[in-house]
Amino acid sequence: MPSVILNDTILKGTLSQKDSITLDGTFIGNITAEEIIVKDHGTINGNLNASVNIEVNGNVVGDLNSDKIHLTSFAKVRGKLSHKNLSVDEGAQLEITAQTRKRISNLNKE
Amino acid sequence: MFFSSNKKVDNRIDGFSHLGEGASFEGEIHCKGEIEIAGKVKGNISAKILRILETGKVTGHVNAERVEILGCMLGNTSSLNIHVGEKGVVRGDLRFEENLSVNEGADILGHVQKAKKDKNKKFDSDKIRYLEHNQRAS
Repeated sequence: MPSVILNDTILKGTLSQKDSITLDGTFIGNITAEEIIVKDHGTINGNLNASVNIEVNGNVVGDLNSDKIHLTSFAKVRGKLSHKNLSVDEGAQLEITAQTRKRISNLNKE
Repeated sequence: MFFSSNKKVDNRIDGFSHLGEGASFEGEIHCKGEIEIAGKVKGNISAKILRILETGKVTGHVNAERVEILGCMLGNTSSLNIHVGEKGVVRGDLRFEENLSVNEGADILGHVQKAKKDKNKKFDSDKIRYLEHNQRAS
């Protein structure tokens, strides 16, 4: 089951989740999940690690690591990005270093 | 007009936070509203309404206005109202101020106590803080 953290909630610590997490509240610490979605009111201080997708529409200070990263127009992000596929919408406020990971080496060999 | 109505919606929060079954969290949780836990939590929780679902497991102290334990709770609970469901497992003390309800089948090991809030104590601590502050100032 996916998790939803609303605006009225503050979490401090580490969270690991098997599937998707939607954050609209404050989180201090690292998150590991399949998919992480940060909504408008979401404020995160820590690293995000997702296997499939990260979508940011709020504030993030920390490193982002995912196959697909989408920073929407209200995103404020500061940190390092590591991704295969990055998309940034108009209006996003960024202070980032981004690095595109190489695709899986096995596919290239074949 | 559209924007002003949007703002109102932002201030009011409908629904509640939910920590899913596959989640495991270590650390503190502070929730001004309602939170539902179906995963594992290690650490202290303060909330207005806390619901530990059947798959949920909380290890740590809980402080709330209303607590519903339908899953597993290891640690002390203090709240205005406490409800323990039929599959609820509690290892730790239950401290409540108003109501306690326990369904048939619940498994509780620990002290159960009805305690009234010590309003005098609170005032005292405020007074002490005030006096200390005055001392420092002088």
